Amino acid sequence: MRLIALIVKEWKLLLRDWHALLLLFAMPAAFILVMSLAMQNDFAEHASVSVHYYLVDQDSSAVSKALLQQLAAIPHFKRVPSKASLAQLKERVKRSRAQFVVIVPKDFGKAMLGKNPEPVQMLAGPDVEPAVYQLFAAALRGALGHTYLQHLLAPLQTQLEISGSGGLDLDAAGKLLKDRSLYEVNGQNRRPTSVQQSVPAWLLFAMFFIALPLSTTWVQERQQGTYARLRSMGLGAGVLLIGKLLSYIIINLLQVVLMLAVGVFVVPWFGGDSLTLGHAPLALSLMALAVSFASVAYALLIANLVSTSEQATMLTGVTNLLMAAIGGIMVPGFLMPPVMQALSHYSPMAWGLQGFLDIFLRRGGLSMVLSQAGLLSGFGVGCLLLSGWLLNKRQRK
Amino acid sequence: MIQIEDLSFRYPGAVRDAIQELSLQVHRGSLFGLLGPNGSGKTTLISILTGLLSPARGAIRIDGLNLTAQARKIQAFSALVPQEYAFYPRLSVQDNLQFFGAALTVPAAELRGRLDEAITTTGLEAFRKIRAEHLSGGLKRRLNLAIGLLNRPRLLFLDEPTVGIDPQSRHFILESIRRINAAGTTVVYTTHYMEEVESLCDEIGILDDGHLLARGTLSQLLNDAGSQALTINLTTSPTAAQQAALQAIAGLQIDVSTLHVKRCDAAQVRTLLDVLAGQELAVGRLQYGYGNLEELFLHLTGRQLRD
Repeated sequence: MRLIALIVKEWKLLLRDWHALLLLFAMPAAFILVMSLAMQNDFAEHASVSVHYYLVDQDSSAVSKALLQQLAAIPHFKRVPSKASLAQLKERVKRSRAQFVVIVPKDFGKAMLGKNPEPVQMLAGPDVEPAVYQLFAAALRGALGHTYLQHLLAPLQTQLEISGSGGLDLDAAGKLLKDRSLYEVNGQNRRPTSVQQSVPAWLLFAMFFIALPLSTTWVQERQQGTYARLRSMGLGAGVLLIGKLLSYIIINLLQVVLMLAVGVFVVPWFGGDSLTLGHAPLALSLMALAVSFASVAYALLIANLVSTSEQATMLTGVTNLLMAAIGGIMVPGFLMPPVMQALSHYSPMAWGLQGFLDIFLRRGGLSMVLSQAGLLSGFGVGCLLLSGWLLNKRQRK
Repeated sequence: MIQIEDLSFRYPGAVRDAIQELSLQVHRGSLFGLLGPNGSGKTTLISILTGLLSPARGAIRIDGLNLTAQARKIQAFSALVPQEYAFYPRLSVQDNLQFFGAALTVPAAELRGRLDEAITTTGLEAFRKIRAEHLSGGLKRRLNLAIGLLNRPRLLFLDEPTVGIDPQSRHFILESIRRINAAGTTVVYTTHYMEEVESLCDEIGILDDGHLLARGTLSQLLNDAGSQALTINLTTSPTAAQQAALQAIAGLQIDVSTLHVKRCDAAQVRTLLDVLAGQELAVGRLQYGYGNLEELFLHLTGRQLRD
């Protein structure tokens, strides 16, 4: 009865606090929507997303024109036509009007096969991410390789055509690679969208922010004396902790439902890719419950560590960002250096992320996520025990 | 009702005890006023008596029960009204009372009756549906008190229940407390407002720096032999020869033109006046004993209560 009273009280309080409702529901929904739309710069699938570059052709030869054609054929790299001077173009790239300037020097075509070729220059803007830099450089190298071969083999091409044995197929190299993703939808191989890859990470990140409203409410209850009053009424630390835990797990699970619904139904309205939930509702429920338990228990630990709402806000923000950074939420784990990869095994967000990716990308079931759910539950139990100890310690002060 | 023996308590990390070897008895049905300045240990003592803090040394029995071993049983028939507005501002008066009633495990069938009773006692009938955050300071104090009445306590601890409210609300709350006490509830009332204690309490304890300095009824405290102090202001400062003559009076202290005797019976007063007359020293003002608690407190601690 006491537990029900505590849960009902939390809900009444929440329903009368528009700010908290916004923070708990509207913000995560908006967060998932914005992140889904922002993260879908999938070069392979979205023609609308592109990297812009200026091109200065100082050579204007047949070879340089062939290179320009090669570059123009690459999807998602958009040349911005401009008659501005090179200095002006460099300045524009510095200010992120485009990401790159490519300069084809004078005599590029003439010197290409000689001992001292004139290299093409690629200049990148200061805000170009390393991955985009490498991608553009690789594409440029590919186009240059193709142009070089075309130029090198041109006499042979003419000879073969004259002898009637057919021409050279310079695009044959492209046929030597067949790529596919192991991601499957309805038994068919498909490339996962970046929404599918990024939503689980941001979902998890948002779930751990439950610590903000919970810890500030708890601090207020302590400061207002309601906590002392309830203790004087014979309510033990355990009942108070469990009451808070259950109330906020329900809230946290509603957040999950809302955020997944946004991923599935709302993101496509805005032109994004729809989130596919996988085929294991039980596994998804277990993971959602385990992450909720871990995040709310962690929130209770923060609430019992701090003395003021300001401290709670600060500690929640900093530790969540750290857990996210270590846990592969912001940068995928495989891109991290070995030390950081080893560290990421200790972040609860990494456990949650692996579990969600098992369901969303690897199409795993209940057995596949048991270990992650176990780790998260263990973390939650640890946080709860520590919270109880801190609560009793604080009571003696 | 309450028996405290040699109670000491120290907060972790503190250099001295917040409560020091305190012994006290509060009789059943009494309205006991615990008087002391801020930081004197009143709230700490109340926190110990309500089971929120565990004492390091000493024994406490409440209604025959050992507080350390049977805190839950004691909590069932006692209630604390804390100094803070210890309720939920965003909940209405009714919702707050319903929640705390349920937290006290008042059976659902009884809860409505208890709620009505607490609301009537504290005069909150017209404010049932109002959110607590929209109540005036005085009404908030009443709600704070109403929550404390939900378990129909036999023992009620009130920690500074009239701080920061207007005289009208204070009068209402004091009257409510008087009625609650008259109905048989033992009340322990902490405050630093002496006039409240003087008008309300039948027994008084004066606490300072964790020590119980005095205990008794108001008249006992004011008429106690310890409070038979004499202060005389002379119109002129005595000369060295006159001072030598005055030293014949036991316990006399001379401070320029003011004479103090801490303990002085009627015969000694007469003797001192005779000596002054013999030395031709004129009396400007004479005070014997204490007119109120403020003076008694000053005498006991050497400082004002609101210091």
